[in-house]
Amino acid sequence: MSSVITIDHVSKSYGTCNAVSDLTLSLHAGEILGFLGANGAGKTTTIKMLLGFFSPDSGQISLFGHNPSDASTRQRVGFMPETAYYYPYLNIRELLSFYGGLCGMSSSLIRQRSEDLIARTGLDHAKKRLLKTYSKGMLQRAGIAQALLHDPDLLILDEPFTGLDPLARIQLRDLILELKTKGKTILFSSHELSEAELMCDRVAIMKNGKLVLAKPVKEVVCDGNTNLERIFLNVLQAP
Amino acid sequence: MHTLRQLSALIRLSLYDLYRRKDLVIVTILAVVVLVPMSFATPFGIKGASRYLNEISLLLVWLFVLVIAMTRTARIIPTEIDSRTIYPLLAKPASRTVILLGRYAGVLIASLSVLLLFYGLYALINTMKSAFFPWEVFIQALLLHISFVILVTALALLGSLFFNSDANLSVSGILIAGMILYGQQLPVLAAEHSLPIRAILHILYWLAPHCELFDMRTRLIHHWPAIPWLACFCIFLYALAYAAFCFGIATWLFNRKKV
Ligand SMILES: Nc1ncnc2c1ncn2[C@@H]1O[C@H](COP(=O)(O)OP(=O)(O)OP(=O)(O)O)[C@@H](O)[C@H]1O
Ligand SMILES: [Mg+2]
Repeated sequence: MSSVITIDHVSKSYGTCNAVSDLTLSLHAGEILGFLGANGAGKTTTIKMLLGFFSPDSGQISLFGHNPSDASTRQRVGFMPETAYYYPYLNIRELLSFYGGLCGMSSSLIRQRSEDLIARTGLDHAKKRLLKTYSKGMLQRAGIAQALLHDPDLLILDEPFTGLDPLARIQLRDLILELKTKGKTILFSSHELSEAELMCDRVAIMKNGKLVLAKPVKEVVCDGNTNLERIFLNVLQAP
Repeated sequence: MHTLRQLSALIRLSLYDLYRRKDLVIVTILAVVVLVPMSFATPFGIKGASRYLNEISLLLVWLFVLVIAMTRTARIIPTEIDSRTIYPLLAKPASRTVILLGRYAGVLIASLSVLLLFYGLYALINTMKSAFFPWEVFIQALLLHISFVILVTALALLGSLFFNSDANLSVSGILIAGMILYGQQLPVLAAEHSLPIRAILHILYWLAPHCELFDMRTRLIHHWPAIPWLACFCIFLYALAYAAFCFGIATWLFNRKKV
């Protein structure tokens, strides 16, 4: 199977804080990976390096075999940031039209895709309102729409379930599973262990910048008595 | 095609920003409301007084366009970073150079539109008021003012990658005002000082933007003759080259910026 994400002995520190230490991880096409860990474990830092926001101090990262800081590599990547902040002076259509333009999409394609995504993320009733009037969960939905707009092959979602109501959560889960059936590769970081258990093929758990567990979910929860939550606690509480 | 779509999306974003925030629109309307009656007035029927009012309105236009253009440009990147909209932006398949160029071009287009509006009004009012209007000087003044805006916005853009917004505006403001007032005297001043200061003044003379070259207000108001077109184009090219230089360094910095 071809590797979509390759992280090879990557380290990154901010001053004296080792945010990520010697991380090696890869993700295959069509796989869903749950990227887990306590607050400050280094998930967002890893994701930022995956998107080429900055380079690792040491080690190599490649997406589809290319350098993530090349703009053309990101043509195949959709990203949803952990904090949903978008231009408050735009409405959702204008926002998607802007991002679509950045992805080089034609205006007819943008129109078609955005109407579809606005409907799927349940923002139809609010599509004429400026984003500054959106609630947190609505902004999160806008974030999902913009990540999917250009039909990327790889989705990187940083805590996508935060702030979503139960219905939106179920819809997002269905959407992610549907994308998997279309062959898309998905990496999402989350604190929602039950969601991860339901959706992921594999989980990777980070602790203090180090990868402490990376296993298929089936192997982790094979024995009927354990669930991901228990494994997570065991891993994090181990000395 | 790809890059053109990206640029047009970024320019539209800048224009939406300026338009939806309302303040630009409100200040423009206010300025027009203040400037138009003022330019029409001929206090005590004295011709000199009318010129004096023209001078004040042109000064206001200069200051207003300068403040709008510089504050808007200085805020582009810091606002993206502070409001964290930079993350989804940089994750899109557009290079940082295109992002910077598009956002900058958007603010520049908006500032120049305001400038054209004011110059249009100035020409309209003055052609209505008197039979003679110095069109040649007017067009030179407009061209040089456009050059000036291109130069100072590029300077503010570069500053925004070094300093925070306030420091950036103070530093560029002082530099611009200083050069308008003392730009031509720098070599004379240098000659009066001994080595370290003399060297600094010479370096400043060669590196700082020569903002004093762009102001044709007095010529326009007093109907003095036009300057040679060659000189006018040279100043225009100087502004473009200086702006390109600032933009080049800004791009280099932005490409290396950790977010
Ligand atoms: N810009 C920064 N400057 C200094 N330290 C930082 C910076 N960004 C992150 N860190 C530190 O790096 C470490 C990893 O942070 P990171 O944001 O990657 O964690 P995370 O796993 O995403 O946490 P969370 O679940 O809370 O989102 C933390 O200790 C954090 O304090
Ligand atoms: Mg995080």
